[in-house]
Amino acid sequence: MTTALTQGLERIPDQIGYLVVSEEGVLASAGELENDEHTAGVIMQMVRTACRFRLHGTAEPPFKRMSVMLEDYVYAVTISGQKVFVVKRQNNQREPVNV
Amino acid sequence: MEGSLEQHLDDTMKNPAIVGVLCTDAQGHNLGCRGSLSDEHGGIVSVLAKQAASLTKDPTDSPTVCLESDSGNILVRTHGTITLAVHKMAS
Repeated sequence: MTTALTQGLERIPDQIGYLVVSEEGVLASAGELENDEHTAGVIMQMVRTACRFRLHGTAEPPFKRMSVMLEDYVYAVTISGQKVFVVKRQNNQREPVNV
Repeated sequence: MEGSLEQHLDDTMKNPAIVGVLCTDAQGHNLGCRGSLSDEHGGIVSVLAKQAASLTKDPTDSPTVCLESDSGNILVRTHGTITLAVHKMAS
């Protein structure tokens, strides 16, 4: 079952780690997120918080993807089939150069 | 005292892609808002920013949280004691 969940995640470009989390706990983890319970816990908190966001009283979930962008890397988070998928990707963006 | 903030919020909304903006303090109290973002979103925005900050040990690395959907992106970031949220339509 783990392979089915994770084989797509393995192929994401620039990915340096991933987590698959359900309400019961971490189902899979790899790379820099392997056994990272702290990150899993924080991301789940953020997902619960973000799901409370409602614009104009709409019923649908407020996001398809949540990204948390830090200086060197970005966490891309999405929900599918009652599971939260988190991928840590290298962030290669540079500040725009003013000429 | 709020004149400058109010002006900045108005200026921000002049960007055609931006449909909402919200500023809160560290407790989630609304300092100013426009458009699609309002008082009711203040608490969630500030909590989201705080939770994101605990993902990094570097206190100078302020994360930007982006909620992406068909109705645009909501970008959240904290600068000092102020948390800013911008609702931007995808171009």
